Amino acid sequence: MRDVFVAGIGITSFTRLEYPLVEIAAYPGLMAMRESGIKTIDQLYVANMGGCRVNHQTGLASAVVDNLSLTPAAADSIENGPASGASAIKQGFMAVASGVCDVVMVIGAERMREVNNLEATDFVATLTHPMAEYIYGVTLPSLAGMFARLYMDKYGITSRHLAMVAVKNHKHAMDNFYAHLHEEVTLEGILDSPDATTNNPIIADPLRFYDMCPVSDGGACLILTTADIAKKTGKPMVRLAGVGQATDTHAVHDRKDPTDLMAVREAAKRSFAMAGLKPKDVNVAELHDAFTILEIVESEEVGFFEKGQGHIALQEGYTKIGGKLPINPSGGLKAKGHPVGATGVGQAHEIVLQLRGEAGKRQVKNAKVGFTCNFGGFGNNVVCLTFVREG
Amino acid sequence: MEMNIYGYKCKRCGHVQYPYRTICCNCHENDHNEFDIVPLAKNGKLLTYTLLYNPPADFELVYLALGIVELEDGHRITGQLQIKQPCVGMKVTGKVELVRKDEYNKYYGMVFYEA
Repeated sequence: MRDVFVAGIGITSFTRLEYPLVEIAAYPGLMAMRESGIKTIDQLYVANMGGCRVNHQTGLASAVVDNLSLTPAAADSIENGPASGASAIKQGFMAVASGVCDVVMVIGAERMREVNNLEATDFVATLTHPMAEYIYGVTLPSLAGMFARLYMDKYGITSRHLAMVAVKNHKHAMDNFYAHLHEEVTLEGILDSPDATTNNPIIADPLRFYDMCPVSDGGACLILTTADIAKKTGKPMVRLAGVGQATDTHAVHDRKDPTDLMAVREAAKRSFAMAGLKPKDVNVAELHDAFTILEIVESEEVGFFEKGQGHIALQEGYTKIGGKLPINPSGGLKAKGHPVGATGVGQAHEIVLQLRGEAGKRQVKNAKVGFTCNFGGFGNNVVCLTFVREG
Repeated sequence: MEMNIYGYKCKRCGHVQYPYRTICCNCHENDHNEFDIVPLAKNGKLLTYTLLYNPPADFELVYLALGIVELEDGHRITGQLQIKQPCVGMKVTGKVELVRKDEYNKYYGMVFYEA
């Protein structure tokens, strides 16, 4: 297997974008090509979840490859729910590692704000089990609510801990130009003040408004290539060292322990095994905090903390920038935004910035090993990536 | 006739699975459609729940109560709740009722009431 390096990266703002989906996908591709000086590619992968349903756009990869004037390169669209982004990176990794391709462009793009919030939530809910969940009105926030109730009871997590995740990630996003929400929040404002019930109403009991990520548009891009080609870009060398993916039952009620996110644990284990590293080696991580509870639980399942200790680490400031293991320095899905198909590529974009030392005010000092967890479905398809700064 | 939600009992190993899978998740040995359909129990205890204040557009409700119930026969099922103040561990009883309606279709599923 050949080593796989990141040669170029690009991103759009994660917000409401008034551009067609194809252009949202193409723009980060353009940025990555300009940054790396790469003008031709062998293969394009475009990760997207809702183009077909929300934007009436099929064959997205064919549209994007032409828009970027990269024909006749091979091009494929990848749909794997909210884990589409990291899934596409995995495909790109395999193409370069195997020797089939030398230069692969991976783009994630989504335009969800073309429809209203209820329709966007309903479109994401179509990934639940059609007969056993979807017909009842089950949505991702409702699954997170049911999960959170059990998890919080079991490990003594309170609404205050969840709000701390929001406060931390909103603060991190203040220094991220591309983040959806530039709005610092406080525990006082979203929990303690008499206005908190108005500012932060319950959405999926016990989860509140500020426990949920926003609905975003956005795109991100990574160009993956061999060591020789990456060296020519003159950028610090970041290697994609580990790729791990795992699945779990489609219906959440079918899991033996409903508070167990087995696929997260397994995907992380596989990713670390390939990279030859351990969770304790990680300096910076982007975890899939579509709901605040998930950042806490994933930080345990991937192996950073013991089960039931994630909220303690959070409370002690271990996971903020300046702490021992900063989690979601970009602002995470919570504040950076969650354009579903683009999210996994967006997470990788942040880690590459951090490992290169180009993250500006939110730079994590001396970051050498970075990790992403991209969580699809409600934990039924999870992809974890491990990146390493070489030299 | 009383309506039921059905589980799928593998003819090879006897394991009942809900929802349907083409291959039995227990023995992995069955041939296509090698299942007996068996009605799932109606009574059970509430394992977890949520009150969803932004239900999908098809539901014209202030909130939608959803829960996962552990049935008497040991199976678990997701369903809607018609319970004013749900609490974890409470005993519930289910009925198969209309749970969702869109422009073209009506969907029936399990609705739980306080036992």
